[in-house]
Amino acid sequence: MDLVQLQRQFGFLDEQFTQLQELQDENNPDFVVEVVSLFFEDSERLLNELARALEQQNIDYKRIDAHVHQLKGSSSSIGAQRVQKVCVAFRNYCEEQNVEGCLKCLQQVRHEYSLVKTKLESLFQLEQQILTAGGSIPME
Amino acid sequence: MELMNSENIVQDRQPAQPQEEEEIMQQEEEEEEQRFHVLAVDDSVIDRKLLEKLLKASSYQVTCVESGEKALEYLGLLHHSSPASSSSQHHHQGHKVNLIMTDFSMPGTSGYDLLKRIKGSSWKDVPVVVMSSENVPSRISMCLEGGAEEFMLKPLQLSDLHKIQAHLLKSLPHS
Repeated sequence: MDLVQLQRQFGFLDEQFTQLQELQDENNPDFVVEVVSLFFEDSERLLNELARALEQQNIDYKRIDAHVHQLKGSSSSIGAQRVQKVCVAFRNYCEEQNVEGCLKCLQQVRHEYSLVKTKLESLFQLEQQILTAGGSIPME
Repeated sequence: MELMNSENIVQDRQPAQPQEEEEIMQQEEEEEEQRFHVLAVDDSVIDRKLLEKLLKASSYQVTCVESGEKALEYLGLLHHSSPASSSSQHHHQGHKVNLIMTDFSMPGTSGYDLLKRIKGSSWKDVPVVVMSSENVPSRISMCLEGGAEEFMLKPLQLSDLHKIQAHLLKSLPHS
């Protein structure tokens, strides 16, 4: 059982991630790494923005919702299912203008993000090791 | 006083035999297919990259822009003036646009705003596909009523591109 199947089992990555792998080819051998790197950059930016926004005296819930919407979208696009799920709850708290709920969700989404980041990084490291050892990554 | 004789007017070329015409059309269609150009509009850098790859994997030419405003600029619609002549219809700097794919939720000019602007311009015959990560029935019907060919849920997959192909083939110029 390969690593991606394992991740899917635990719900970290859904079938969208497999789609990304299927799009990778000889013309674009680093496609998945590139997309995932963009996801890391974008997410970290959004998480910082969210933290800043929730620190404000007068919380701008519309702005927070916009950021969470973006994070929800990008996590969905790469298959980071658990991050996406927290974003759904996060948006509900935004609508309710519930600061406690929002803060809790921010903590949760940070946690889920770091989990999936670790998973993805180890996945790439493993692939790199295989390639360096002269092997090949079986594509399903 | 000599009047213009109608025979002085240059006649259109004789129509080719049905078989020849079919072959010519087929050839043109094949060439056209190789040069289908899609304008992709999305404020998410990740989704732009994904969409670009999906489209390129299906052999389409792609231009990605990050906002509704940039899309309007590309189409020459930003300053509310329509292109000068009808020969510039569907063309921008020599590139034609066969299909426009736009995200719905974008800051500033939304996908819906963009759709309406396009349908009210000389680009109105170019099919527009609206994409969204949210499955909202009222949103879907609003876009379809606004002239969108199709409403697609994100994230898009390779299988969704088959639907796109049907719309692109529809947009081929009629002789």
